[in-house]
Amino acid sequence: MFCEKAVELVRELHRMSDGQLPAFNEDGIRQVLEEMKALYEQNQSDVNEAKTEGKTELIPTIKFRHCSLLRNQRCTAAYLYDRLLRIRALRWEYGSVLPTTIRFHMCAEELEWFNQYKKSLATYMRSLGGEEGLDITQDMKPPKSLYIEVRCLKDHGEFEIDDGTVILLKKNSQHFLPRWKCEQLIRQGVLEHVIS
Amino acid sequence: MFLTDIRKEFYDVVVNQRVALLVSSDIDALCACKILQALFHCDQVQYTLVPVTGWQDLGTAFLEHKEQYRYFVLINCGANADLLETLQPEEDSVFFICDTHRPVDVVNVYNDTQIKLLIKQDDDLGVPSYDDVFRDDEDEDSDGGDSGNESDGGSEPSGKRRRFDEGALERRIERQRARREWEARRRDILFDYEQYEYHGTSAAIVIFELAWVMTKDTRDMLWWSIIGLTDQWVHEKITHIKYVTDIATLQRHVSRHNHRNEDEKNSVSIDCMRITFEYDLRLALYQHWSLYESICNSCYTSCSFKLWSINGQKKLQEFLADMGLPLKQVRQKFNSMDMSIKENLREVIEESSNKFGMKDIRVQTFGVHFGFKNRFLASDVVHAAAALLENVEKDETATDNFIKALDCLSRSNIERMHLGIDLAKKKLKAIRQTVASCICTNLILSQGPFLYCHLLEGTPDVKLFSKPMALTLLCKYLLKAFVCSTRNKRCKLLPLIMAAPMDVEKGTVIVLGIPPESETSNKKNFFGRAFEKAAESTSSRTLHDHFDTSIIELKMEDKGKFLDALITLLS
Amino acid sequence: MDTQSYMPVPPGVGMEENFFSLDDILLSHERLPCRTDTAFPKLGFLEKAGETHDIPEGTKMEMPMWLAKGLYERKRHVISVELPKVYREGWRTVFGADANVVDLHKMGPYYYGLGSQMLHFENAENPEIAQSILQTFISRFRRTMDSSQNAYNEDTSVLVERLDCLERALFRSGQNGLNAFQLWERGRASQLTASSLVTNYRKRKITELQS
Repeated sequence: MFCEKAVELVRELHRMSDGQLPAFNEDGIRQVLEEMKALYEQNQSDVNEAKTEGKTELIPTIKFRHCSLLRNQRCTAAYLYDRLLRIRALRWEYGSVLPTTIRFHMCAEELEWFNQYKKSLATYMRSLGGEEGLDITQDMKPPKSLYIEVRCLKDHGEFEIDDGTVILLKKNSQHFLPRWKCEQLIRQGVLEHVIS
Repeated sequence: MFLTDIRKEFYDVVVNQRVALLVSSDIDALCACKILQALFHCDQVQYTLVPVTGWQDLGTAFLEHKEQYRYFVLINCGANADLLETLQPEEDSVFFICDTHRPVDVVNVYNDTQIKLLIKQDDDLGVPSYDDVFRDDEDEDSDGGDSGNESDGGSEPSGKRRRFDEGALERRIERQRARREWEARRRDILFDYEQYEYHGTSAAIVIFELAWVMTKDTRDMLWWSIIGLTDQWVHEKITHIKYVTDIATLQRHVSRHNHRNEDEKNSVSIDCMRITFEYDLRLALYQHWSLYESICNSCYTSCSFKLWSINGQKKLQEFLADMGLPLKQVRQKFNSMDMSIKENLREVIEESSNKFGMKDIRVQTFGVHFGFKNRFLASDVVHAAAALLENVEKDETATDNFIKALDCLSRSNIERMHLGIDLAKKKLKAIRQTVASCICTNLILSQGPFLYCHLLEGTPDVKLFSKPMALTLLCKYLLKAFVCSTRNKRCKLLPLIMAAPMDVEKGTVIVLGIPPESETSNKKNFFGRAFEKAAESTSSRTLHDHFDTSIIELKMEDKGKFLDALITLLS
Repeated sequence: MDTQSYMPVPPGVGMEENFFSLDDILLSHERLPCRTDTAFPKLGFLEKAGETHDIPEGTKMEMPMWLAKGLYERKRHVISVELPKVYREGWRTVFGADANVVDLHKMGPYYYGLGSQMLHFENAENPEIAQSILQTFISRFRRTMDSSQNAYNEDTSVLVERLDCLERALFRSGQNGLNAFQLWERGRASQLTASSLVTNYRKRKITELQS
């Protein structure tokens, strides 16, 4: 049956239900496009044949191939779209700098999209809240206090906070710091929020 | 210098600053740390908390943070050695030291600028007066060269023509004689002052009182200060009198907190924390164990009955029979015992204990309960936290264990507390078994001026005893047991030194000395200085890293000559 | 509760499909027993037997649902779609008796989804099918909801193994709610947590390195 490869692509993404981004399946896309090209060309020639020689019995076959083309289109579009949703999530979870391992999983166009999305988000954030803008990627949970206690889960070296002061993040050291400074590192799993 | 007004001279100074908290690894320090953290959270004082296990750690932590922090708070470390000499800080670094270790080093006492001691001045200190130990240089005339406390300096003239003046010569000789006399007296005074190591008021209590003065004290803080004091009692760092005095102080706070709710019409929710004064049994962890296990594994009862002997076991059975407690009940988990038995248990046990020669089976302490299930005595918490702090079961670092122990003190981490209790049970059993085997195999030998016991590698649970607090408990238990079981009157008055394998790869042992066992013991320990001298005189390779000077690390190969030197020194 | 940043396109409701929904794409991949009512020249290679050049009229073959939907025409005879067993009268009676005992995962796994899509094909039994699916859902819903709200911190595989995909999604959503409530009760709702996405990436990296 046609379109098996296309649905493979969809399955690949569906397996990773938590939102992780697998490597871009360039090979798979290429195969689907090839199948589409073949189907299209066969349909072209059959349409001509049907028109010129009046072979109306070819019409079901043409319809059949047409359905397959639409199906391939749907699968590919959904694959690409879902990947974009995952990449968008990366901006919110990881921040604006992605680790190289994840960047390798993205194709050139996706990287470009990510950069554009970052820019749009930044522009939007700057336009809010008066002059300084508002960082809406912070405080994803309503904050209870200005300062929080955090514990360092791994050696992270020096970390600079607003007024230029530097904190040494060594494994198992605990710190009491302004919340907004820590949020990013907590999301990345470097620090742990301690509640007592 | 000693701070007189801790709030003004310490808290108000740091409240707008960023602070580095260096905390030692003992339960009292952990409790003081929790209270201070709670205060800092209240006032949004930014801080960094670094656990330290010894002087090396302290030095490293200081080096790592000295660029970023000006104010350092040291808890249960730093007082008993010249801190400025050890750390070599810049002039603007300020150290606030809240430490129970005594004696406080004289340099720390008299430094006005950088060392601030959060210690009560009336805390039984006996610090020598300034003039007895420090001397401003008074050389006015042109003898030149003599600066500081040089002894008998050659007084070569520094280029100036020497005035031959008999009067001047006589005066100089007189001054030199006076100086020599002063220095000799100084040596004596310092020797007396520094000879015995002991402990002062719990750091947790000091910090709690700071909180109280600021009216920011909560029940959680009070409970932590109780645990801090109880830690000092469990590990026998303070005298009984001091313990009772401090209990009375805390009892006033407990009453004050409990009265707060009497006006309210609605009674407080069951989930709120309640602290109560208890005159409870001296049986470790008995409410979380079975009564039988607790009696067997608690030092006081085990030594009184001499449970390592068959006679002892018989006496225990008689004791239980005397109280009318069936063995089946007593072996059950405490919570499953019949209510009728639990009701007057304390009085019943006290009465029978008196008959069997145990006059102090009950002790003043506090208990806490919150929620329906959670009831703990202060000593339960101390044992649990200590077991977590020195956990050797998994291969975790000291700082990992510090974090776990610190966590278990929060009420929201009850599961960790229960884990700690389980570990503590194993530890107490291990101690009991080790004591029994040491006594029965006569592993404790008299070396003349002291008793000595060496735990060999391969002894069961010996890994537990590579840690200072566990080894201390074992040591005290062992000495008491020995005193109870030996007939040699002279040996009963001797102190005990114990050695156990510390780092098998490096070939070192941990050596610890405790003072002789007596009912009126003042808990003062002279081994710190003794170890130092013995190591020096034999060039033994030792590491005096622990904040308690009576605990050191020693290379196995040097053990023989080290011990010999000690014997000579102390005879 | 972890804030969700990845929000995939959800499946459509009832007879609608969402074009971009991965769930709907996989649902429409399920195979249906069909019969060709006309010949399909040049496509013989697709059919099982594969010997002829064309697919002759009257061939019984399995077609994926997307194809069946695409080819089916009410007025003309292109293909006829047979009702899968589980929607026929026999099984409908079983569902009517007690829907709770049926292993819908084995019968599906897209029992409700596929059933709803079947209504696109004209069939005299459609009203009964629709009614049966609805009643089945109603009678099983209570148990799904109960178990999702009461299974805390335990292995739920036994509870979910007989649920179809829609019910499993509901179960998961119920569990999320329960976990969030428990966190809130313990005062941990305001605790900032590491992004589960980041943690999972790290775990995967470690397993990749190890393999």
